[in-house]
Amino acid sequence: MGSEYAIEAEDLRRTYRARTGWLRPRRTEVEAVRGVSFTVGRGELFGLLGPNGAGKTTTIKLLNTLLIPTSGMARVCGHDVEKETREVRRRIGYVFGGDRGLYDRLSALDNLRYFAELYGVAPRDQKRRIAELLDLVGLAGREGERVEGYSRGMRQRLHIARGLLHAPDVLFLDEPSIGVDPVAARELRRTVADLASTGTTVLLTTHYMAEADELCDRIAVIADGQIQALGTPAELRRRADGRRVVEVEAYGVPESAVDAVRDLPGVRETAVEARGALQLLTVHSDAHVDVQSDVLRELAGIRLGRVDSREPTLEDAYVAIVSAS
Amino acid sequence: MTFPSLLASAVAPPLFSPPTPHRRRPHRRERLGMKTLRLMTVGGTIAYRALFNWTTPGMFIGTLLVGPLFQLLFFAYLGRQLQVADDRFYIVGNAVLTASLACVFGGTMAVANERRYGTLGHVLLSPRSRTAIFWGRVIPYAGNGLLIAVVTLTAGALLLGLRIPVSALPGLLLAMAAGSLACGFFGLTLGALGLRFRDVWVVSNVAVALLLLLTGVNVPAAGLPGWMVTVGNALPITHAAEAARRLAAGDGLAAAAPALGQELLVGAGYAAAAVILLKIFEVESRRRASLDAL
Ligand SMILES: Nc1ncnc2c1ncn2[C@@H]1O[C@H](COP(=O)(O)OP(=O)(O)OP(=O)(O)O)[C@@H](O)[C@H]1O
Ligand SMILES: [Mg+2]
Repeated sequence: MGSEYAIEAEDLRRTYRARTGWLRPRRTEVEAVRGVSFTVGRGELFGLLGPNGAGKTTTIKLLNTLLIPTSGMARVCGHDVEKETREVRRRIGYVFGGDRGLYDRLSALDNLRYFAELYGVAPRDQKRRIAELLDLVGLAGREGERVEGYSRGMRQRLHIARGLLHAPDVLFLDEPSIGVDPVAARELRRTVADLASTGTTVLLTTHYMAEADELCDRIAVIADGQIQALGTPAELRRRADGRRVVEVEAYGVPESAVDAVRDLPGVRETAVEARGALQLLTVHSDAHVDVQSDVLRELAGIRLGRVDSREPTLEDAYVAIVSAS
Repeated sequence: MTFPSLLASAVAPPLFSPPTPHRRRPHRRERLGMKTLRLMTVGGTIAYRALFNWTTPGMFIGTLLVGPLFQLLFFAYLGRQLQVADDRFYIVGNAVLTASLACVFGGTMAVANERRYGTLGHVLLSPRSRTAIFWGRVIPYAGNGLLIAVVTLTAGALLLGLRIPVSALPGLLLAMAAGSLACGFFGLTLGALGLRFRDVWVVSNVAVALLLLLTGVNVPAAGLPGWMVTVGNALPITHAAEAARRLAAGDGLAAAAPALGQELLVGAGYAAAAVILLKIFEVESRRRASLDAL
């Protein structure tokens, strides 16, 4: 039917214009998406990774008809997202991470009943379909309670159930596992994999690299509104080939020490991530240089925890791609 | 495993199965009509429970029944004092007007509260007719308004000793229903503005006050400047109140029919305006990304 691709994006661009201030209005422009092109095949599970503000959510909203592209073109199942909105909306589901987006005063059941109406689920199928989905997301038994009393993860599960109500051909999952506990996240991954294996096309964004690595057939890494790398997880991992990674847990690393590490010969990238009281220092170096002793020398006098030297993972490849952009 | 359960599991549909076909396939247009009707009624009712803030018994009785009744009594006694018009003028007019609070605020909530819950995007992702979705939401509010008007009229008439001919009751019900429906669409039009402007509640508050002044319910139209009468003629309630007064006076349905027709016309006008505004603001929201920016 129509196109061989489930999703096609061609040089998509989106600029946000905002006016701030009332007496003296100032115009600000944000180029959130700057020329994104990719295709997703039918039944493919495609990941969109990138730092906060990279333009992932904006790209999804361009594809799911909530936003109009400033320029460029996109099609979902062969239908233009700007003009054939009804055709596109019939075929897509959208799950958006977060606490909001549900009717707090209604029960989960009534939320699903309402959206089943809105999304055109045939009346005689609604009851069965809703029961199946409540079961699938593990809310069966709690469906009569008002959503205002739901925990964050329960809300997220309800979001997922809603996105699946009309068994969409193309499913957009924007950080679906946010706030979901590890066991439920694993079930969610299995559900997503099942959906893809039964022919649903999935476009997934996530900040969990392991999730992307496990699920996605292909991944696009997006930063500053542009695709920086695109390929299978294995292909992306190879981006970090020829590298070695040293990880150091430390307590109270001054900026000057980080800079010193950065300037060491053989070091390619250095990132610091705060993890509660400790900081995790990740140093990428050329594989043939052993920088571990140099790094530890620069950190002399600082209380250190675990020190580890290892092969790069998808996450390291991601860090390499993003910091090179 | 017993035989029936084996049979049941054998025919259990898989999770992502297509819907089973109907035995007699009704005409396509007929099915579409039924589906739209269902979206309006079932959908409208759920949306009412989701979005109307005043459904708790306390809020409902206090805000929508007791408050308006005292307003009716206030104007009736003021009218007696000033001897501008008789009891019937105030009681019938104010009873029709009491529907406006639930309808105007309800209609506004039906759109503007979507923002509060962050659900608007998910509603707009529906492939179904905006007209059916949002008109359907007006129906429960109009019913609500009608109920309130009936209760206030009954209570007011009993308390102040107003006699209404029994033969006038069906017509009165019709007039109050027309007023409530027109008022609901008026509220939906204001609610549509909520897609574009953050502070739409200001507009609703002003609108309720304007209805009190301009519909001729408490100040006879003859006592208002010409431009106010003109504005009043374009507002809901004005013509419904006039029709209701004629009916309560025993003039009969024929005498009330022109005013009733005008009220329905005003209501249809707002119904169309609401749909047009919703359409414009939806398109604009896709261009300006204004849905979640507010
Ligand atoms: N409605 C809006 N109005 C103005 N600017 C916006 C709007 N929505 C997003 N932006 C801007 O566009 C850029 C991209 O945002 P977007 O939400 O697409 O990022 P993201 O990749 O989804 O990030 P995250 O990982 O944090 O979800 C950001 O700079 C953001 O500030
Ligand atoms: Mg995002």
